[in-house]
Amino acid sequence: MRGVMRIAGLGTQRPRCGLMALAALAALAGARAVPVQAADAIIAPHVMSWSELGALPDFTTGIWEVHLGPGALAQAVQPSLTPAYQARAKAYTAAQATGENQDSPGADCLPNGMPGIMGQPYPMQILFGPREVTIDIEAFMQVRHIYTDGRPHPDDPDPTFNGNSIGHWEGGTLVVDSVGFVPITPLGFNWGVHHSSKMHIVERFHLTTPDMLQVETRVYDPEALTKPWVTSRLFERHASWTIAEYICEQNNRNEADQNGRAGIVLTPPK
Amino acid sequence: MLKKVPAASLLASTLAVAALACGSEAFAHHSFAMFDIHAQKSLTGTIKEFQWTNPHTWVWIVVPSANGGASEEWGIEGMSPNFLGRRGWTKHTLKPGDKVTILIHPVKDGGKGGSFLKVTLADGTVMNMMGTSAAGPAATPGQPPGQPPGQPPKLAD
Repeated sequence: MRGVMRIAGLGTQRPRCGLMALAALAALAGARAVPVQAADAIIAPHVMSWSELGALPDFTTGIWEVHLGPGALAQAVQPSLTPAYQARAKAYTAAQATGENQDSPGADCLPNGMPGIMGQPYPMQILFGPREVTIDIEAFMQVRHIYTDGRPHPDDPDPTFNGNSIGHWEGGTLVVDSVGFVPITPLGFNWGVHHSSKMHIVERFHLTTPDMLQVETRVYDPEALTKPWVTSRLFERHASWTIAEYICEQNNRNEADQNGRAGIVLTPPK
Repeated sequence: MLKKVPAASLLASTLAVAALACGSEAFAHHSFAMFDIHAQKSLTGTIKEFQWTNPHTWVWIVVPSANGGASEEWGIEGMSPNFLGRRGWTKHTLKPGDKVTILIHPVKDGGKGGSFLKVTLADGTVMNMMGTSAAGPAATPGQPPGQPPGQPPKLAD
C-alpha cells in the first residue's frame, strides 16, 4: 500500500537534481547560473543561495520512512564494545531474569537520541535552508539541525540527545558530523548498550534511486567501541505523506520504573 | 479462549512492525514485556471507545460474561494513529456501539488488557495493523466485492 498514494503531478517535479534542468530554471528566473559540480566534488560549507539549494539532490519532496524491503535495516552488525561497556551490557541482560530491564525509559516517552532516533518506525522530513539542513523526525517530535554554513562545532558543546551537527556536500552526498551527546541514551535500539559522551557520528545521506535514500552511519566512541560501528539503512520516499503530530505524553499507558520493570495502565477512560 | 500458538504463527502475527523494530526495544517507544506474545485471546463484544491517540491507539471493548455475570471492559493497545492512519485506518474505523471480535496478545498478569493483532468488524471486514488483512480469503470473509487484495476497504464513517 505504501508508496501508491502519489499526488498526480508531483512526479513531474522529481528528481529536481537534474543540474541541467536546474541551470535552465535558474536562468529563466534570472538567478545566477549554478556551476555544475563533479559528482564527488566537495562543496565547501557556506551560506547557500536558493539556486544552489535547488541544484541539490531532491531530499525535500515528501517524507521518508524506513524501507521494509530487503536490505532495509541496518545489517545485523553488532557494535564491537570495549570490555567495560560489554560488561555493562551483560549485566543489563542478566538482570532481565529477575524482571528488571524489561522495558526502557522510552516507555516513559524519553527519546532514543542519536543514532537510534534515526531508525524509528515513523517517517522523517528533510528540509534545506541556506544555513542548515533540518530533519523533522515524527517519532517523539524530534528535530535535528545540521549546520551547513561553515560554522565549526562549539569548542565545548553542551551534551544533548541529538548532538551538535555540522554538514557539507560531497557531490550528491550530504555528510553530517555530530558530537556532544548525553551518555544516558542507548547506542542504538538496545537500552542495555550505551555510548559515552565522547561518541562521534558521521552520516552519509545519498539517493540510491530517485525515491530511495540511503543513510550510512559510522559511530566512533573511544570509550565504548573497539572499532567504528558502521550500519546502513534505506528510507523510502512517500511523496504525498505529511509529518503528523506525535505527543508521546498524550495517552501513554506504558511505564518503566528506574529498574526497568514494565507496567501498563489499564484504567478505562472516563 | 486462551490458546497457545505455534512460533510460525506468532511470527506472522507480529507483522512487519517487528521487522521494522529489529527487536522489541525498537518498537518506537516500549517493549512487549508486559504482553504474552506466546498466547492469543479472542474478545467479542461492543466498542465503548476508540482512542485515536499517541503514542498508541486504545480500543475499549465491553465483553459480556459467558456465565451471566457482570460484563468486562478490556483495553487493547494498538499502533499509533500516525502509523495506522497511513495504512487504511481512520479514527472512525471503530465506533462506540460497534459489535466486533478482536484478537490480542493478552497481558501476562491476567489483567483485562492486551496488544492488538486484528479486528473483525460487523460486516466481516478484517483489519490488522497494516490495514486490511492480507491473510487471504479465509481470513477476510467480509472483503467487499471487487475490492483489490491488499487495498483498504472503504469504511463507512
